Amino acid sequence: MKAMPEFHPDLDLVTEYAAGTLPLAQSACVSMHVSLCVQCRHLAAQLSVLGAALFEELDPAPVGDAQLDAVLARLDEEAPLKYGTSARLAGAVPAILQRLMSGDLSDLSWQAIGRTLRISYLKTGDPDHELALYHIRAGGRIPEHGHRGSEMTLVLAGGFSDADGSYDRGDFLLRRPGDVHAPTALQSEDCICVAVLDAPLQFTGWKFRWMNPFLKLRTG
Amino acid sequence: MRTDEWSECLRLIAAEQDRAAFTRLFRHFAPLMKAFALSGSAFSASHADELVQEVMLKIWQKAAAFNPEKASASTWVYTIARNCRTDLYRRLHKFDTAVSAEDVGADSETEEAVVLLHSRRSSENLRGLMQQLPSDQRQILAKVFMEGKSHAEVADELDLPLGTVKSRVRLAMQKLRIQIER
Repeated sequence: MKAMPEFHPDLDLVTEYAAGTLPLAQSACVSMHVSLCVQCRHLAAQLSVLGAALFEELDPAPVGDAQLDAVLARLDEEAPLKYGTSARLAGAVPAILQRLMSGDLSDLSWQAIGRTLRISYLKTGDPDHELALYHIRAGGRIPEHGHRGSEMTLVLAGGFSDADGSYDRGDFLLRRPGDVHAPTALQSEDCICVAVLDAPLQFTGWKFRWMNPFLKLRTG
Repeated sequence: MRTDEWSECLRLIAAEQDRAAFTRLFRHFAPLMKAFALSGSAFSASHADELVQEVMLKIWQKAAAFNPEKASASTWVYTIARNCRTDLYRRLHKFDTAVSAEDVGADSETEEAVVLLHSRRSSENLRGLMQQLPSDQRQILAKVFMEGKSHAEVADELDLPLGTVKSRVRLAMQKLRIQIER
């Protein structure tokens, strides 16, 4: 395993992430990469500083004393919380993923596609994007497919390669509409990825093309 | 250690539940939060007031989590306002989710010492650098960060190609010396 991810979301994407404008499922995927990548964590923090600077330069909108009184009256019901040290970066599975799975990898229900690929769809509440875990058997190849929309992929365990490169834990990829590839998992271990799609995959080979009508986007 | 007025207010809230400090913080930040809620006409005036209340209550509750070694008070406050705004927006649009913006949003904090030195310097320089940005680049940053618009939405609104919006963002970041270290 590499010490640090080699493939990252680009500046535009991290900017939208830091500004809070990414759709929920995409934001979850980028945040998982960020939790595994010190450089992107740093970049996102710098962009938050920029956001704060713009925030402080807004023209203040008048807020009356009635508002202040209303908040003060509610302070008693909202006791300050006590905080321990942050556990956000602990463990091999990003915290947000643990929440989305509400359990363990082994508790998920998986849908098999051929012998090499299993998919488990996770519920995020995002109405336009599907967030799923892909489990590719060691050495297994995902049939060649194209993307009608965009696909974000984050490697969580193991690794895979395609015609463009080789990706390990923490690596982040963004596929754009029209990209076609056939990822193959590393020989040494199973590969688990998070994928966020805004349109279903389309298999291109004759052997798997029959499945396309069944690959509906599982949003929500 | 940052010892500016707002960090000190947060410390007093956490340590002593100091309402006077909370009031000072409110008078400074609440009007900015309201302006933030109203920018880009994302919210009505009453929803903007709701946001102000929510963010201020969060600040009261979470003050002990503020670490002046890791972020400035204004960055910390802005991050909470940004997350609350996203959540309120999703609630108003009947978005059914168990995931909050805080769960997946960018942290204001960095844990690495080297990184921290750099980000502290950059936050000091940033304001000066921002003054020198051409207005077209500044306008786009304001739309992205304050109005909460995606690059595609900004392109639509300004009737510009998406590539132009993206390149202006990149140019602005270069001038602000915000860069990817790879």
